[in-house]
Amino acid sequence: MHKIAEVEVQHDIMVANRKLARKNQKMLDNNQVYAVDVVGAIGSGKTTLIEALIDAMDHSIGVIAGDVISKYDAGRFEKHEVPVVGLNTGKECHLDAHLVEHAFHDLPLGDIDLLFIENVGNLICPVDFELGSHMRMVVISVTEGDDTVEKHPLIFQDADLVVINKVDLADAVGADSDKMVSDVKEINPDVQVIKTSLKTEKGFDEVMEAIEIFINQD
Amino acid sequence: MHELSMAEAIVETVLDVAKKNDAQEIVEVTIEVGELTMLNPEQVRFLLGVLVEDTLLEDAEIIIEEVPVEIKCRNCEFTGLANTDGSDHYLAIVLCPKCDERNVEILKGRECNVKTIKIEKSDEDA
Repeated sequence: MHKIAEVEVQHDIMVANRKLARKNQKMLDNNQVYAVDVVGAIGSGKTTLIEALIDAMDHSIGVIAGDVISKYDAGRFEKHEVPVVGLNTGKECHLDAHLVEHAFHDLPLGDIDLLFIENVGNLICPVDFELGSHMRMVVISVTEGDDTVEKHPLIFQDADLVVINKVDLADAVGADSDKMVSDVKEINPDVQVIKTSLKTEKGFDEVMEAIEIFINQD
Repeated sequence: MHELSMAEAIVETVLDVAKKNDAQEIVEVTIEVGELTMLNPEQVRFLLGVLVEDTLLEDAEIIIEEVPVEIKCRNCEFTGLANTDGSDHYLAIVLCPKCDERNVEILKGRECNVKTIKIEKSDEDA
């Protein structure tokens, strides 16, 4: 004889990640490290922006380079003589709090005060996965098309700072960068949106200042 | 695409609970997926179908319930079901239904929750 029984499970897989993310943030706070999660589209300039910030900012910086295969970006950061941990996500399209926690063990957290966590190039999946960072910077570029923002609203709703990069190429690719700014404002009215060209250095100082303001507010 | 890893986590959770409850078979699984969770329920269902082969879950009915977005408005303090922006976008922008403000705290709608399972067990175990 068999009997059917209903078992209350109530195990939220998302909550498990959020709990880990809070633990990560506590670990960062204990080490007085401010962490910036850098998310954005593939090829939008995330790595180049972080490289420029490493060179220009007056902080002891560390980097977690997340990618499907992370060695390429990690190698770029290493040339700037900062501690770097590459995280291979393999088949996964995003970093999660568990992977980031692993990276903490390989980083000299006591020696750094600013940590950039470069997420996998993706505007969809990272939305679901908090990492424990203190702020999230979204980097997109005009070359992805000026409808990028309206097609991926949620990542902008959660953003603390938005960078629209490669604006020097806007005419060449027929993109309206002002439309992209207003699309972001439509979704997240209070967020600061900065147009940049890392080639001409347009807007770069503003990005740096915006991050400093967040660090000082913390 | 993180439907695969989420489906794997769902299967792992269900099999773990089933084992702890001495299940001989799993008859039904109910999963709640929030409207704002970046998961396509149909893809989750498809992947679960692949992953359950040769497990206690093989013949289980998978029920996926969508959880609507509940908010607390930071502007007018409204608490309850949110309005979405009325576009046909799969990923809704969340609005307060009372004051149309977007500055809202999301209370519900970001879940991927294994809610309940129905298991078959022998009478002696029950």
